[in-house]
Amino acid sequence: MNRITRRRFVQALAAGGLTHAFGRTAGTVQAQAAGTGGFSDYRALVCVFLFGGNDSWSMVVPRSSAEYAAYARSRQNLAIPLDQLLPVNALNGGGALYGLHPSMAGVASLFESGRCAVIANVGPLIAPTTRAQYQASSVPLPPQLFSHNDQQDQWHSLRGRNASKSGWAGRIADVLAAQVSSQQLALNVSLSGNTLFQAGTSATPYVMGPTGATTFTGFGTSGAPLARKTAFQNVVNASYGTVYERAYAEVQRRAVRYAELVNDALAAAPALTTTFPANSPLATQLQTVARMIAVRERLGMSRQVFFVATGGFDTHDDQLADQPGLLGNVSASLDAFYKATVELGVASSVTTFTQSDFGRTLTSNGDGSDHAWGGVQLVIGDAVRGRTLYGSYPTLEIGGPEDVGGGRFIPAVSSDQYAATLAKWFGVAEAQLPTVAPSIGLFAEKDLGFLI
Amino acid sequence: MLRTRLIGRVLTAVAVATLVACGGGGSGDGSSGGAGTPPPVPITKTEALRFLNQSTYGATEAEGQRLMALGDASTGYARWIDEQVARPASLQLPTVQAAYANLTNPAQMIGSLNGDRQEIWFRNSIRGPDQLRQRVAFALSEIMVVSQQSTLQNMPYALADYYDMLARNAFGDFRQLMQDVTLHPAMGVYLNMLGNQKPDEANSIRPDENYARELLQLFTVGLVELGADGTVRKGADGVPLPTFDQSVIEGFANVFTGWNYAGAASFAQARRTLANQIVPMQAYPEQHSPLAKKLLQYPGAAKPNLPARQAPQQDLADALDNIFNHPNVGPFVSKQLIQKLVTSNPSPAYVARVAAKFDNDGTGKRGNLAAVVKAILLDAEARPATVAATTGKVKEPLLRLTQLWRAYGAQAANGQYRLGNINAVFGQGPLQSPSVFNFFSPFYAPPGEIADQGLVAPELQIATEYLNTTVTNTFYNVIFGWNSTVPGLPANAVVMDFSQEVTLAGDPEALVNRIADKLLGGTISPTLKAEARAAVERVPAASAGQRVSEAMYLVATSPEYVVSR
Repeated sequence: MNRITRRRFVQALAAGGLTHAFGRTAGTVQAQAAGTGGFSDYRALVCVFLFGGNDSWSMVVPRSSAEYAAYARSRQNLAIPLDQLLPVNALNGGGALYGLHPSMAGVASLFESGRCAVIANVGPLIAPTTRAQYQASSVPLPPQLFSHNDQQDQWHSLRGRNASKSGWAGRIADVLAAQVSSQQLALNVSLSGNTLFQAGTSATPYVMGPTGATTFTGFGTSGAPLARKTAFQNVVNASYGTVYERAYAEVQRRAVRYAELVNDALAAAPALTTTFPANSPLATQLQTVARMIAVRERLGMSRQVFFVATGGFDTHDDQLADQPGLLGNVSASLDAFYKATVELGVASSVTTFTQSDFGRTLTSNGDGSDHAWGGVQLVIGDAVRGRTLYGSYPTLEIGGPEDVGGGRFIPAVSSDQYAATLAKWFGVAEAQLPTVAPSIGLFAEKDLGFLI
Repeated sequence: MLRTRLIGRVLTAVAVATLVACGGGGSGDGSSGGAGTPPPVPITKTEALRFLNQSTYGATEAEGQRLMALGDASTGYARWIDEQVARPASLQLPTVQAAYANLTNPAQMIGSLNGDRQEIWFRNSIRGPDQLRQRVAFALSEIMVVSQQSTLQNMPYALADYYDMLARNAFGDFRQLMQDVTLHPAMGVYLNMLGNQKPDEANSIRPDENYARELLQLFTVGLVELGADGTVRKGADGVPLPTFDQSVIEGFANVFTGWNYAGAASFAQARRTLANQIVPMQAYPEQHSPLAKKLLQYPGAAKPNLPARQAPQQDLADALDNIFNHPNVGPFVSKQLIQKLVTSNPSPAYVARVAAKFDNDGTGKRGNLAAVVKAILLDAEARPATVAATTGKVKEPLLRLTQLWRAYGAQAANGQYRLGNINAVFGQGPLQSPSVFNFFSPFYAPPGEIADQGLVAPELQIATEYLNTTVTNTFYNVIFGWNSTVPGLPANAVVMDFSQEVTLAGDPEALVNRIADKLLGGTISPTLKAEARAAVERVPAASAGQRVSEAMYLVATSPEYVVSR
């Protein structure tokens, strides 16, 4: 089967002048001279985490005849019918053509207009790994492959076999600390709870609600409400004997400090005209991210990483019935968010990317799929060298060269490479990339090239 | 008060020695020693509160006094536990069934019964006489997780019955619990064992691996080999030793084929009804995998591999035995129960003492949960004489609210505890986890000193800035809004009884002490006391309810209330 490789993409670039084709120029990180500190431009990364392990082999599907035939043979009753796929035309597809899941019209259109890249068969690796090496256990492997929480942690932390308790976005905040010291809010903001992804070694993330920051009832700026707030703060500012009290009190201190700051800022945000899908928690979170980006200057923000998430992707059962809703929601939400960044004039400063626990088995368990390894991720924004597939789509044959059993594919590119590419665009210096992505040194391609 | 962890450990060790000498620690039978027994040590108010916060949905003064009356430190706790173990389970299903009977359009409104299920959870938790049983059931519901955040939202009978099953098994046999969990339709639907078919190689269809994986990984043995004290065993390369690999998952996945709703003529014809979602799943041999199955491989395993073509029931029994007898189960389950009841960071020796009870309750029986729970609560490390930096745990938001309401006899005029979407403001609700991984992980370590020291604080995973605010606001609302000094409350308002406190409202010192007695067992830090007093004094004496509310709000949202030490 045809393989899309970075090499081919570079050739396509040389031949076609991709950046020119999309009317954008390659950007460089606008850091001020060393010593003066901060960034003079704004950049944001938005991580969309699909909890449960997205079956991305049904998200991006080959539609050329030989490849589709192999896909259908392997997927059996989980295969998406060829005539239902939304055809897309990658610039570097070689002989193979691809289609998107029928529910993903928004993403298909972003891809076709060059705003979306597909990273094929990406997942946690400690070093480049072949099937022979996997079978012989001759290279270190990420521990507890195929386990939800462990592989989520791998994506979040890139820790391999280390016991590190920090995430790669957290470490980005650590290494950029001096450059973002004037920001009023933490570099990392989650709208979907605590996540290892954003835990720094020294930098602390901030967790807000899906629609904004909730303020404390009964607190105010004068009279009894001010006295109540002051008393509450005095209690949480006291010293405590147990680690649990101290950790809890610390969160309460941040909660009080940030609630009004964020809420006041959001209250001043201009109304967005972009329409977001209704009744979608993911869309709600992304809409709030857009509003936070709209007030970035008021909060003095130059670099932000947002974490949003949605669940339900653990499709062991009823996959065909459930996936249209799951992927349709992702597509419509990503599309709306992209349009909001255009409305805000920040489409080239905001890069949105997906992560998920793992890819799923290409084989069926009757009406669903099981936990696997490599999968497909999407990257969206005007800084993306889009309409292109990166990495390498595996041979969709059971027992093919990347299959370790049941259609569980060894990733072609590692999460470290994916993260390093995003981090570099974000403004992390080359020398600091190994801090963010510890295994990057073992991979020849340190930048997958999907960002300008 | 600040103390390093090391010093804390030393102090704990001293406390252990002291308590063991009193005959109360570790032995688990609560009996006093023979000749030379030291004089009885009464249970203090503070100790009673701590014990009851570990063993109930919140200490009350009345229960504390009853506990103290049952005996001294060497006998009272054990007697209280024995009483509790003997009490039958308060159930949820009858309430949910009664609510179903009142639905005007059951097909459309079945999901509304989740509200009734949540209501009866609060009612049983706050008022149930079987407090310890309910508390252990809650702990089990956070380990062997099923959730209404799934297709189970349309199966409130199954969810209520699953919780009742946990409550019935809370002091039973862990092997029976494994079987009841495995065959319950709620679990069958949640983790896809229900309807799981035998392999069909021609169509590259394999059995579903979901239940196989999570039963092993989350409910019983965990991913890595453990010592008898719960510490991780590592290989020569320093890497933790895995308990199983993918081939074992596939073996168990084949075991768990052929099961579906009971009562049908065939696997293919099995359909869900109100009746069969509360009875164990049934085996349909035509869809059971005939293959040989690889199980957990460990020294002494009776049947590490099952032969081809066993009956589904035989495969199931052998497979559950294979798991149940794995040496990890004792430390794995014991440590999680300790974390849910007593402390996030038990010493390895504490885990080892409890795990030993799991392995053998003293009569040669393995997996006796009553003995395990008793060992957890009677252990010297659960009752230390001094509080170390790692003593205790963060109380989950649900337990903070039930404690407050139990302490103040909260009830509604209509007798119910009907709350809205508690999950949205607390980040948790009974059987409402976002996934099988529970609201929080037993391994969660917030960044900072806890992570740096290799400690964990599972409950803090849901203590985000956002959820802390919404939880704190809920406390504000119930304290200021739903108390006995507020006139004209609706019949569904859960009203706390402030009558005693109101009589003290003119004496700020006495009022704060009274609240500290009820909520903190009589201990209160100087800062909290001063702030609570000042808050009372800022309100005119005539506004007695407001005075009580101001002080109680500061206490009930304080770090010292939130942490059970």
